[in-house]
Amino acid sequence: MSATDGIKQYTVRATPEAQEAGAVALAVASLPESFGPAAGTNQSDVHVISGQPGWAADAAEAITAGARAVIVVNPAPEGVGTLAEAAARHNTVVVLDQRWASNPAIPAAEDAVRSMSGRAALLDTVATAAVGTDSGELFADHLAAVVRIAGPLANLRHLSRGPHGYTTTAVLANGAPVAIQGVVSNARPAALDLRLLTDDGGVSVTLPEPVAAWPATVKVTGPHGELLLPTIYESAHRATWRRLKRHLDAGTSPSDLHRFAALTESITALS
Amino acid sequence: MGVGILGAGPVTQAIHLPSLARLGEILTVRHIMDVDPAVAESVAARVGATHSTSIDALLGDPAVDIVAICSPHQFHAEQVIAACRAGKKAVLCEKPFAMNAEEAAQIAAVSAETGVPIIVGAMHTFDPGWLAAQENWDDLPETAHTIRSSIVLPPNARFEDFATEIITRPAGGTPDYTDPEVIKGALRGGVMGLAIHDLPLIRRFTPDFKDVEVLEARHVRPFGYVISLRTPTRTIELRAAMNNTWKPEWSFEAFSDHAALRIDFTPSYVQAGSAVATFTRGSQTTVHGPFEHNGYEGEWRELAALAAGTKQPPSAQTLIDDLTFALDIADATVANVESQHAVAEGAHA
Repeated sequence: MSATDGIKQYTVRATPEAQEAGAVALAVASLPESFGPAAGTNQSDVHVISGQPGWAADAAEAITAGARAVIVVNPAPEGVGTLAEAAARHNTVVVLDQRWASNPAIPAAEDAVRSMSGRAALLDTVATAAVGTDSGELFADHLAAVVRIAGPLANLRHLSRGPHGYTTTAVLANGAPVAIQGVVSNARPAALDLRLLTDDGGVSVTLPEPVAAWPATVKVTGPHGELLLPTIYESAHRATWRRLKRHLDAGTSPSDLHRFAALTESITALS
Repeated sequence: MGVGILGAGPVTQAIHLPSLARLGEILTVRHIMDVDPAVAESVAARVGATHSTSIDALLGDPAVDIVAICSPHQFHAEQVIAACRAGKKAVLCEKPFAMNAEEAAQIAAVSAETGVPIIVGAMHTFDPGWLAAQENWDDLPETAHTIRSSIVLPPNARFEDFATEIITRPAGGTPDYTDPEVIKGALRGGVMGLAIHDLPLIRRFTPDFKDVEVLEARHVRPFGYVISLRTPTRTIELRAAMNNTWKPEWSFEAFSDHAALRIDFTPSYVQAGSAVATFTRGSQTTVHGPFEHNGYEGEWRELAALAAGTKQPPSAQTLIDDLTFALDIADATVANVESQHAVAEGAHA
């Protein structure tokens, strides 16, 4: 960490896989006062690792090696109990950079959806991703965002699953049906679409891929008409880095691992 | 060409008469029949037509060349056959055109015997947006693996009132959603009354439609459904919700590995032009429409052409396959709900 005029800058080192998957160079370059590359072989403040299976052990190792923070890009579902303990013991900040759940529009979407969820009649959500995407990975990314926005789902169950996607069923707390569909196709840019319908309107959310700063859209429809919430031209990657900075500066711990443990539990129960 | 309409309820008042009003140069309403004499008289007076309460009177009216059957579902088959036997030039039957495959086969046989062409009021198949998609979809019907139909609609009355001044609107009930029979009835009604609008479109993209199975069917309150279907080669999702929203959304989507089609339809009743068809192929997007008229007007244009002999009718097999596809889904939907209920009962026991 270096300090210039009281501004803290944290040094960064990323594995090659994470560098590419997380567009780390771009994210760091877009926050130049807060982050910078670690020089030579010096120890860095922030370690960025890829979320391939086994990532929790890699993250725990980075913590033991002295990292002040760890960013995990696209984490695959796996147990994080040991990692959470290590992070707490060393006071290390671990944040997850997730395809859709890390989008900066999520908090507004969450507020909008949860304020209406007691009146929900249907939640319908579709995620699309390029051919070659593993449908299990797509589902994990999809579910992470849906649960983040809408809260826990009950009776989660795959109806079908294959190379072209999945069809999954669940219910909201009030018993309203939840329909979750994944579509693997190169026809459209990968994205997540979520619609909550109530008796007189609802909320629609579209979340783009983090490869560019395409803004998500959150629209709230009611008897008054339709309100487009302010668009945010920031990728999920950059929003993750800003969130990390806030935690580092404030000395607080994010709830990422706690949430991820619940997600992993849901997915494990499915299979 | 003279038109006679059997049944003068809200669909006739708010959909067909406004559509026909736009086609005055080729079609004129000559005769309105309804079992309620006051309704028949009032609706007929709007268009300067004869009115009656008898099917025989309408079918015997020489001014009627084309018959539209807009009566309750259970009368459709009998009335289509009677219209063919009466030697009319073309028949439009509101969907569903029969209640089972046997009735459908009888109708097809009578149509073939009499030479009277029949079309079913699946209005989206006549929508210029759909027709434009058809001309441009290349091999998508053969290569699609995922198909979605999504319908969100306000109560019909909202759009009926945009279209006309309705008389004799049917009274709504307050269903008991704790009764499994009510749920089964609502889902069957959802398939045969709402999903059926798009099932011919879905079938066009589902070569193995005869092997359709329902993975799960759920009711959406107050009226709607979530039905997940599968064939050996297709995943099909049907969603619908009719609530008190002002914002309609009616879309059909089909995805292959490399192309997707989305069609956004305009609401029924209002004369809001055609659907818009959007193809996406990676970073390339192609849009067709909107065009000036919707599928209802398209139906009437088609009928006029059939009656004039300038176009060929759809094959009877197409109509039968569309109907049996819908009936198969409706039956399997009800069976799925019954099995869910049985499982729930077993869990409580």
